[in-house]
Amino acid sequence: MVVPRILGRTGTAMDDLLNDFLAETAEILAEAGGALVAWEADPSDRAQLDAIFRLVHTIKGSSGFLSLPRVTALSHAAEDALDQVRRGNRAANAALVTGVLAIVDRLSQLCAILGKKGSEPAGDDTDVISVLSVGGDAPEVPAETAEIQLRREDDLTADLQGWRSIRVPLPLLDSVMTGVTDIVLSRNEFARMLRDSGAAPSLIASFDRLSDSIAGMRQSVSQMRMQRIDKLFSPLPRIVRDLAQDLGKKIRFATSGGEVELDREMMENIRDPLIHIVRNAIDHGIEGLNDRVAAGKDVTATIAVSARQSGNQIEIEVRDDGRGLSPDAIVAKAMASRILSAADARTLTPREKLELIFRPGFSTAAKITAISGRGVGMDIVKANVEKIGGIVELRNEEGRGLSVVLRVPMTLTIISGLMVRAAGQYFAIPRGSVREILLETSDTVRVERVGGGELVTVRGEQFPLLRLEAILGRARDHRDDVEDRALVLVRPGQGQSYALSVAAIHDHEELVIKPAAPIIMATGLYAGTTLPDNGRPVLLLDVQGILAAAAIDASEAGRQMDQAVEAEAAAAAERNAAQLLLFRDTNGRVRGVRLSVIERVEEVPSLALFESAGRIQAQIGEDIFPVHAAALPGDRGTLKLLRLHDGQSVLCYPIDAVIDIVRLPELVQPAVAPGLIAGVVLVGGEPVELIDPFWLMEQYSGAAAGSPERRPVCRLADDHDGWGSNFLAPILQNAGYRVVTEGSDEAADVLLCLTEEGGTCVHGDGEVPVIRLRNSVAATNADDDTIYRYDRGALLEALRRRVGGARS
Amino acid sequence: MDKLYLVARIADTRVALRSRSINSVVTVGTPVEVPAAPPHVSGLFALRSRVFTLIDPHVVVGLPAVPVAPGQRVVVVDVAEHGYALLADEIEDVCFIDAPETRITGKLLPGWARVAEAMIEHEGQSLLVVDPSHFITLPSLKAA
Repeated sequence: MVVPRILGRTGTAMDDLLNDFLAETAEILAEAGGALVAWEADPSDRAQLDAIFRLVHTIKGSSGFLSLPRVTALSHAAEDALDQVRRGNRAANAALVTGVLAIVDRLSQLCAILGKKGSEPAGDDTDVISVLSVGGDAPEVPAETAEIQLRREDDLTADLQGWRSIRVPLPLLDSVMTGVTDIVLSRNEFARMLRDSGAAPSLIASFDRLSDSIAGMRQSVSQMRMQRIDKLFSPLPRIVRDLAQDLGKKIRFATSGGEVELDREMMENIRDPLIHIVRNAIDHGIEGLNDRVAAGKDVTATIAVSARQSGNQIEIEVRDDGRGLSPDAIVAKAMASRILSAADARTLTPREKLELIFRPGFSTAAKITAISGRGVGMDIVKANVEKIGGIVELRNEEGRGLSVVLRVPMTLTIISGLMVRAAGQYFAIPRGSVREILLETSDTVRVERVGGGELVTVRGEQFPLLRLEAILGRARDHRDDVEDRALVLVRPGQGQSYALSVAAIHDHEELVIKPAAPIIMATGLYAGTTLPDNGRPVLLLDVQGILAAAAIDASEAGRQMDQAVEAEAAAAAERNAAQLLLFRDTNGRVRGVRLSVIERVEEVPSLALFESAGRIQAQIGEDIFPVHAAALPGDRGTLKLLRLHDGQSVLCYPIDAVIDIVRLPELVQPAVAPGLIAGVVLVGGEPVELIDPFWLMEQYSGAAAGSPERRPVCRLADDHDGWGSNFLAPILQNAGYRVVTEGSDEAADVLLCLTEEGGTCVHGDGEVPVIRLRNSVAATNADDDTIYRYDRGALLEALRRRVGGARS
Repeated sequence: MDKLYLVARIADTRVALRSRSINSVVTVGTPVEVPAAPPHVSGLFALRSRVFTLIDPHVVVGLPAVPVAPGQRVVVVDVAEHGYALLADEIEDVCFIDAPETRITGKLLPGWARVAEAMIEHEGQSLLVVDPSHFITLPSLKAA
């Protein structure tokens, strides 16, 4: 595909026009290729033909304006041929489509040269043009002439502006991004100075507002870099068609999820792997026609490419209904190409057998074909995807098809990183490859020195141990506290892991990653640089490169076999033992809470917290949750909230930082009186206060949002003056009831009659309990079972008795 | 424009740098070290939101490395879309030198021979004209 170089702001008006033309044409050509293939599959699809005609017409129009004679001639020829078809003078056939595709190719080549040189090269295009006109010389039976178009001119005006957007040169976009990052950095510096100068709170508050809008702007700019994944899919139909024709296979190709958005840089990185996987599917996956018939399958095979977003990741699946992978054939092939020994082959699990295709030097084709046997194998695909922090997954159904799933982060440039310290300076580790973080002094960790190397056993599983200082060739910083040393269990790729020992764990940060200079990348230890908020550059460690530099075998396969029994027992013990989340509370104390009651840890801007009805609440997304805090926190940018969940309601507990996850010690020194602290335990020799989730939940149970489906339904009857819905309903809702009005035909659990004295409630529909309210304080007689309408306590008590209570 | 040069003392030698090869001259704070990097990489520093790689020309020409003094001035250059900064002992002036660049006469030390492109006469003194991009990579180290 043509990727025109856009020159940006400096060009003359003519340059701008040319650049616009090139950018637009590149897009049109990619789109036209796909549309042509779709049209070939269904020549009666009039809309598709019109769309192609419009695309070609647009190129012709703009090229004429820019005086590019070759482009004009080519697009004219294609337009002409397509117009013949539109008028019914010519039938659509494979020859015609191939002819138009040839023109599309030639146009792409011309545009590529135009983009480089700025002028149209001299040359002759009669070869591709004549192909089309030859077909025109022998007009086939003019079929369906009845379908004569009346709105031809209208078609042309229906422009390509299906989406409302403008074209922005990439350098401009990048400079906006850089500008915003600059602003963020100077904001941070300014914030520090403000704090140090002891400025007035009002000044700080208004600065904070500025600060928040900057954060919002940074977010929007990152979104500007996003592009629809459609762009990635657009060349695929063409590739499938050409390849299928070469191989004599019949393939139906479908894409879905094209509206999913992905960072433009990310897109560049998965283009080639994706094309390779599709080619592989056609070449190796889809059987020949005879084999398909023999297997009882539809002669026309299906390849489906779909994209979907899940959280911060994009999943792209290429699914075919071909023969799938045969583990045995793969093993045989691997042994033949000497990448696997017979002894090793016997120990492999079915999954590991499949993953042999990712080994360098492996090729599944029985014979090397021109299509996929070009030395670019699945190993390169895997390496490319992993380079950008993604993974490749295989879902195989032998005989019925294969799905290859690429899972990649949504943006390349901003990743979540773990900041660690070693040799007196900070480094970042991509959060995605961190499996676990442990303190080296933790009692679940056993460090051993064996034959000069170090290994660590964590809950029965052994990991090679690398010390970051040793890898970097630095001495340990004498100021580091041995107690702080932590192990980061790193999983650089599937089936590999090791423990990286660092002087201390700092925190998590969202990092903007930029490539480092080639001389630094050449060390193989770093994946880029980043500029955290303090303005001092930090190097991002290349966890795969570190492994290569240390030259150790980090594959998990072998050690799991030796340890299988022990690991199984340890895992079983682990499942039974409760885990404790250690965190630093907002008051600086180290506290712990059972991991199982934590739904997740949220990071929210401090503005998301507000005070209402004497309680602090947090708005997270669309929901509002109570927060365990006596007062609103001062502005701290963002703050972390533990989300406690008891199965029904949620309570947020603000914390300063998460420290670690450890096994809950069995010995708990209980607290004297029930309260926030259930007791004290010793973790690594230090006392840790244990939070009592029961007590916490109890405090907030009235305010905690229950799940709606469990709420009893309360119907208001005879609510003539709206008192019920205005005054009463809010109280009932707070107490956990759902209130419906008289008109609703929903089955109610209890009926509240707001009938005036003397009137009778006519709504008693048998089974449903009824509570009647009266307007006067005093009851009329002893038998009166009505309740004074402002007696909140009595009313709620009555409701609880009638329906068994909203909650116990 | 072509005749505009930055005269500076780099690696204990007065040199002239063609102004079009230079992005800017700035001062550095304390750089961040890059462990395991080649010896002429003094570290990283940030200038606004860009990260620059600091190069010590002393090492490039074969002298021992010198520590970076805070506030020291550096010559910022862009090579292959990456930003680098050459540590300068002293920045003298940006001046217009009308004299033509001449071929280097005399035998230079191997380190200098690699980075110098020509000589130029300025205020009665011969200056080496160096291309800052030659300071970035260190092929000479392999021979050493």
